[in-house]
Amino acid sequence: MNKLPGKITQMQQSGAVLLVDVDVDGQGFSALLIEPAARPEWLQAGHTVHLVFKETEVSLAKNLSGLISMRNRMMCNVSKVERGELLSKITLHFRGHSITSAITTRAVDSLQIAIGDEVEAMVKANEISLMNSI
Amino acid sequence: MESNVITLEVEKMMLTANGKLNLSVDTRIQTGEFVALFGLSGAGKTTLLRILSGLMKPDKGLVKFGDTVWFDSSRGINIPPQERNISFMFQDYALFPNMTVEENIHFAQPMKDNATALELLSIFGLSEFRKRKPGGLSGGQKQRVALARALARKPQLLLLDEPLSALDSGMRLTLQNEIYKAHQLLGATTIMVSHDLGEVFRLASHVLCIKKGQISKEGTPDEVFSDSSISGKVQITGQVARIAKQDTVNIVTVIAGGSQIIKVIAFDSDMEALNIGDNVLVFTKAFNPMLVKLMA
Repeated sequence: MNKLPGKITQMQQSGAVLLVDVDVDGQGFSALLIEPAARPEWLQAGHTVHLVFKETEVSLAKNLSGLISMRNRMMCNVSKVERGELLSKITLHFRGHSITSAITTRAVDSLQIAIGDEVEAMVKANEISLMNSI
Repeated sequence: MESNVITLEVEKMMLTANGKLNLSVDTRIQTGEFVALFGLSGAGKTTLLRILSGLMKPDKGLVKFGDTVWFDSSRGINIPPQERNISFMFQDYALFPNMTVEENIHFAQPMKDNATALELLSIFGLSEFRKRKPGGLSGGQKQRVALARALARKPQLLLLDEPLSALDSGMRLTLQNEIYKAHQLLGATTIMVSHDLGEVFRLASHVLCIKKGQISKEGTPDEVFSDSSISGKVQITGQVARIAKQDTVNIVTVIAGGSQIIKVIAFDSDMEALNIGDNVLVFTKAFNPMLVKLMA
């Protein structure tokens, strides 16, 4: 799984649904969680946490324009491409962190992804978990 | 119920397959609790059970059952096993082959008590086998006799050392229910060594995780095995049964709850130090799983 360290900046709760904003090196992220009002002690504004998301939930785009509903967008550089028959793994650099995206090899070909390319990695807010970083 | 909190403050140098290891435990066990000792083999679970029973002498420390001192190295006290009110049940039933089922049960009673023996035989569905010798019984039936015999002396403390590990999964489930029933019936504190997560969840009210001779974690099964440091609301614990490399990913098969098979796509960063047989937490978010009602 992908792990990025960040700091909780803000939280918005409606019933059991909680939207958490996290800052990772100056870039804002959102995680949508199901949490009761009595939240664990580490899940509070100001706390350092890890954003956790699965490689298969990371979508990639090149030269994207227009609006999109995905809340978490990372401008990255491609550092490695491992092609599989159907599924490929793309390793990306994002502000000093390494993240991995697993997409179909067809998608790799259609986007013509190569080492050194600038791509945008995107994850939906409901696909991000938070982990206590201690 | 009278309070018989068990005090266990002991040290014992153990010789394990990986060399010497110092067992060092300081804990209290509450009356009537069903405690599971969970951990890898060689961690000291069975040693702890044997120390409680009196079959093994700690190097130093104190073992008390309520106010009764069973072992105190500073005062040279070591009460022999037969004077501690305990019963044992092991993986191998250790029944007397030359005695009938009924005689095996009578043998465990300090004073022959036919009414209790018949009641136990009936509870465990053994009435029709009471005149048979253990040789003519199935594994599950033998283990039932061993359980009935363990209860025949009405112990205040029941010690179980992987009692069901030799049985198939169906028979295990049945006997887990019977062990639970027996625990309720007897009201005795029960301490069980197990490395079966499903068994621990089903039976234990309190878990002591033993790691390298020490208690590494304790609490209810939920507290010990589900991880509140992860926000994911779907958390399943299980054991890795198979790891298959396919394309650029690994497919990890996890067995949960004894019979549920879960397959998880894992990447290299998840695979570090992950081996077959390891206990793992499988988690996902409340948003991802889908539900389908099953027809009755």
